[in-house]
Amino acid sequence: MFDALPTAFIFFAAAAILLALPKGNMRGLLLLATPILSAIMAWNAGLGNFAQIGFFGFELELMRLDGLSRIFTLVFCLAAFLGNLYAWHVRDTTQQLAALLYAGSAIGAAQAGDMITLFFYWEGTAIASVFLIWARGTEAAYFTGMRYLIIQVGSGVILIAGVAVFYRETGSILFETMTLGSLGTWLIFISFGMKCAFPLMHNWLQDSYPAATVTGTVILSAFTTKLAVYALARGFQGTEILIYIGTVMTLFPIFFAEIENDLRRVLAYSLNNQLGFMVVGIGIGTEMAMNGMASHAFAHILYKALLFMSVGAVLFRTGTSKASELGGLYRTMPLTAIFCLVGAASISAFPLFSGFVTKSLTLTAVAEEHRQIIWLCLVFASAGVLSHSGIKIPFFAFFAHDSGMRPKEAPRHMLLAMGITSFLCIAIGVYPAPLYAILPFEVVDAHPYTMGHVAGQLQLLLFALLAFAFLYRKGIHPPEIRAVNIDTDWTYRKAGPAVLYWLRWAVGSCYCWIVGLLEKTTTRTIRRLYNSHGPEGRMARNWPTGAMVMAIAVLLGATLLVNFLA
Amino acid sequence: MAQKPKDDPATYPALGRMMTWVDKKGSDKKIVRALIVACIIVFLLEFTYEKHPHFGVEGVTGFYAFYGFIMFTGLIYVAKGLRVLIKRPEDYYGDKAVDTEEYPEDQLDKREHNDV
Repeated sequence: MFDALPTAFIFFAAAAILLALPKGNMRGLLLLATPILSAIMAWNAGLGNFAQIGFFGFELELMRLDGLSRIFTLVFCLAAFLGNLYAWHVRDTTQQLAALLYAGSAIGAAQAGDMITLFFYWEGTAIASVFLIWARGTEAAYFTGMRYLIIQVGSGVILIAGVAVFYRETGSILFETMTLGSLGTWLIFISFGMKCAFPLMHNWLQDSYPAATVTGTVILSAFTTKLAVYALARGFQGTEILIYIGTVMTLFPIFFAEIENDLRRVLAYSLNNQLGFMVVGIGIGTEMAMNGMASHAFAHILYKALLFMSVGAVLFRTGTSKASELGGLYRTMPLTAIFCLVGAASISAFPLFSGFVTKSLTLTAVAEEHRQIIWLCLVFASAGVLSHSGIKIPFFAFFAHDSGMRPKEAPRHMLLAMGITSFLCIAIGVYPAPLYAILPFEVVDAHPYTMGHVAGQLQLLLFALLAFAFLYRKGIHPPEIRAVNIDTDWTYRKAGPAVLYWLRWAVGSCYCWIVGLLEKTTTRTIRRLYNSHGPEGRMARNWPTGAMVMAIAVLLGATLLVNFLA
Repeated sequence: MAQKPKDDPATYPALGRMMTWVDKKGSDKKIVRALIVACIIVFLLEFTYEKHPHFGVEGVTGFYAFYGFIMFTGLIYVAKGLRVLIKRPEDYYGDKAVDTEEYPEDQLDKREHNDV
């Protein structure tokens, strides 16, 4: 039936096998072998459509491998491998299953050739991933997970609505480049945008990632948002509005990240900013921009995972990831500190690190389209990345003031995972040719290491560092304090409930008042009737017979009087 | 971490011991001085090659340097301003938010560096 086994099925089969294995290293090995096997099989399959299946009269394409979906398949496998290695110590079946099903769903969605398949996997990622948050096992994690799930499943519901409308409009369910305009395409676009954390739809990301488990966050960081980037790249390449959305995405999170205390939330804001660069690349839509987007996604998954791993290791050993509580950990966690610095240098795009060779593609593509304002914004955002991910994360966790904590170095498997990831970050930076070779389009004329690029980038970064040194020593740099910052989640965590409480109070009070009034009136009426007509009432004080005799006597008397007078 | 173990740098891992240099007295000044020297070098580098700017502004001498320094400083000031607007106490979202709760101990492996 199939010419090749869809990669997602390997992950699902592994999930079934996992349940049969006893808890322990056997499961760990399975979790490591699955992504490796999947990557090899996907690579050997070559390019093409390999798996069709009929579904209620629709022809579903379960495995479409082309330049774009292949690089995402490969990097998802790589991320699953590194995340599972990092999570070697985890013995929780739920998390292990969730990791496999989540990665499998993400890969399945990236290989989907039609939008019905996409929808199934799209919801699959939502449902599998929430268990990585719930696995924390606290009440707070439960509520955060519910908020996350509502938004993720909501995105899927909007997607399937969009697909249905789109099918009515065009008669096709194929997942190809669309032109934004009709209702169907807008619904699909919004659905992608929710998962891609577009501005004002972004806050699920910063809300949920810091709530997941130590290892869960590492795995979460790789898939959902990059799947959304892939979907946008597939469906809306060259859509002008994405340039502006992406630019806003690169800018606003850097301010929030600067003043956030929880380092895992800082990284979530930083992730949001990185997505912006990719979204701009998709909006530009030229071959170079698409290459920039794909290579940036590849490199980003690695260095973002590395940063989440290093902060996770700190959390694992100290019990906190809050900058205000940390500091000076390099003394006893030197390797973790160095790996964190590698991740920081990569995301800040220092020459010889992976961010440099990938981000420069996007920036050059923007420049070649002569979009000066956008370009200036992106260069500014690059300096912003340096400020929170490049400086803040390593500096306040491992250096700065001595917190007095002397935690043990991270466990060996975590160090290994961070070591491999660090190696890859540097390898891509030093020798980008293999990465360039698997990009969706042929890379022409990419020379990141020209004197002009290197010197320009170093000027930008070193002078920004100088500004930091100056501001920090003068005490102007915002201090790390225990606090939370409100973001758009305020609307549904504070304002929404407050409005509901107020409505409840208002409606309740009105109801009580009306009911009270009715009751009071009724009671009063009854009491008055009782007073006048009750057994002791005024009207009953004279017994009716007596009253009649009295009335007749008065009447007779009156008649007599009238007769007498007449 | 009820009782603090005796903090003896000799018990740090070798790499960590080497890195304690950064906290030595005067090291911070040396680091900043090295940074300034590096800045001057990359600034001067600009005169060694021919530029191919995409925009006029990119061709201005020291554009990246000034842009980096000024925008970074601006970013910090704007962020400080933003903090005034959006900062809330840590328990703002109540006790059912992850900001106030401790991470469950049984999922961690909290250890001091000299624990076995």
